[in-house]
Amino acid sequence: MSGWRLRLRAPPRLRIDARALQPAALAGLARGEAERVALRQGRDAVPLAELFDLERIEDAAPPQLVVEGDLSRFDHLGWCMSEGELQLRGPVGDYAGAGMSGGRVTVTGNAADLAGCAMRGGRLEVHGDVGDLAATALPGEMDGMRGGTFAVRGNAGARLADRMRRGTVVVFGDAGDFMASRMVAGTVALAGRCGTHPGWGMRRGSIVFAGPAPTVAPTFAPLHSSADVFWQLLARDLAQFGGPFASLARRRLRRFAGDLAVLGKGELLVPE
Amino acid sequence: MQINQVAIDDTFAEAFAMKATRIVVTAHDPRWAMHAGVSATGFATSVIACGCEAGIERMLEPHETPDGRPGVALLLFATSGKELARQIERRVGQCVLTCPTTAAYAGLADGEAVALGRNLRFFGDGWQASKVIGGVRYWRVPVMDGEFVVQETTPVVKGVGGGNLLLLCTGTDEALAAAEAAVVAMRRVPGVIMPFPGGVVRSGSKVGSKYASLIASTNDAFCPSLIRLAPRSELDDAVRCVLEIVIDGLTEAAVAQAMRAGIAAAVTRGAAGGVLRISAGNYGGKLGPFHFHLRQLAGAGP
Repeated sequence: MSGWRLRLRAPPRLRIDARALQPAALAGLARGEAERVALRQGRDAVPLAELFDLERIEDAAPPQLVVEGDLSRFDHLGWCMSEGELQLRGPVGDYAGAGMSGGRVTVTGNAADLAGCAMRGGRLEVHGDVGDLAATALPGEMDGMRGGTFAVRGNAGARLADRMRRGTVVVFGDAGDFMASRMVAGTVALAGRCGTHPGWGMRRGSIVFAGPAPTVAPTFAPLHSSADVFWQLLARDLAQFGGPFASLARRRLRRFAGDLAVLGKGELLVPE
Repeated sequence: MQINQVAIDDTFAEAFAMKATRIVVTAHDPRWAMHAGVSATGFATSVIACGCEAGIERMLEPHETPDGRPGVALLLFATSGKELARQIERRVGQCVLTCPTTAAYAGLADGEAVALGRNLRFFGDGWQASKVIGGVRYWRVPVMDGEFVVQETTPVVKGVGGGNLLLLCTGTDEALAAAEAAVVAMRRVPGVIMPFPGGVVRSGSKVGSKYASLIASTNDAFCPSLIRLAPRSELDDAVRCVLEIVIDGLTEAAVAQAMRAGIAAAVTRGAAGGVLRISAGNYGGKLGPFHFHLRQLAGAGP
């Protein structure tokens, strides 16, 4: 297989729907075909060659697509991606990696709102910050992120992992208010500070606070029984992310069950 | 063929395909892991009446287990995947779930998945919780010492059951000593268990019986009390005691390696140690697809 390197000539004046930038779909195209791939811009369609300089990447396996430049007006990058590797070298717009089910998306800059929402599988890594509503549900949907791994090296905005159902979200920086609100299941691990109301309305799932302890709402009940076995399994898995997560397994655990306002089978995990 | 004046019979052990799995049981310390392991693999000597053949493969150090605690690796073998699944559920449910501080995990990477904790979780009466960690689903069942963590499924693979060695010796002391030495050597081989008490069986059986209701009966050909009485006796007057070691393994190679180690340990004791002959049980080669020829194994060395 092979791939493409796309260099943005200049940021577009209007927002672009970039869901057509799929590594696997573009890899098999000849140069002429790739240059004619259309990206939606409002009611218009813009050919790829009008926005980017294209360069072929030979012998890339899995299929690779590298996009370079200020992509902050490009939305839906990696939309519903199922295979291949998408490297986004620069800031990106909304819905980055949304709905992806496989493959790997890497963003070296910041991502705007709704990154990784409705994600089902694969791995999404943002080296900068993500905006609000990352790893949540698509507007109108009941379920948020439902699989895969989403790592944020910077900070996350409000409502991170709202309605999340499955998968793992790891944030190395801080998170905004209402982190993991209405969470159905899954794992969120946070290394920095979090805003108010973490786990608000969570039914099941685990939130790991590797950094400062959060302010725990009165609708969470402290648990003093042993959950060491489960903690070792989870902490050893999170250790793969390194940094503040590498030493989790050696720390003693405090637990709070909640949110008792709803089902109450979720947990705030606060290693000491 | 003679090694150290021990005759190696020109025969072979005939073994069968079985369904097998490995379960890793961990606990707060090795003692409790062993309690659970012994209990879960109890009454599992032969599929003739136990439902499965099971044993403790080996102790596991903390760095070898998923949760970093000491544990034991159990191997279970049954004649069908369905029966194995039933036995796993019963034994883990009654002997591991019940044992303080334990947790249970799949010990194989690949194979057809059968329920390990999938149904045991209902013991939690609604308080159980599922957790997917690293793509693996675990169940957390609240129990009185905290929680029982159990992996949802365990892979089942095709194993080999019924590899065997017959040690023909001059007396009880000599036969026990040779069998014990052989079992010690065979337990060092990964992927095998010797399911009988202490790894040794004295009631070797043949297929069928004069009584229609029995599917197996005493192996009269190797009973020293039936020399000159049983028409099929294979013993001479020097043999006073015969003990058998049965081997179940995850692969044909593992069973062969264990038999090789057992033969080597027995012949090391030699005729001076009271070991006269080494033989094996088979059914003419028509029933089991795996044939372990003793002379090939003895010649290949341990």
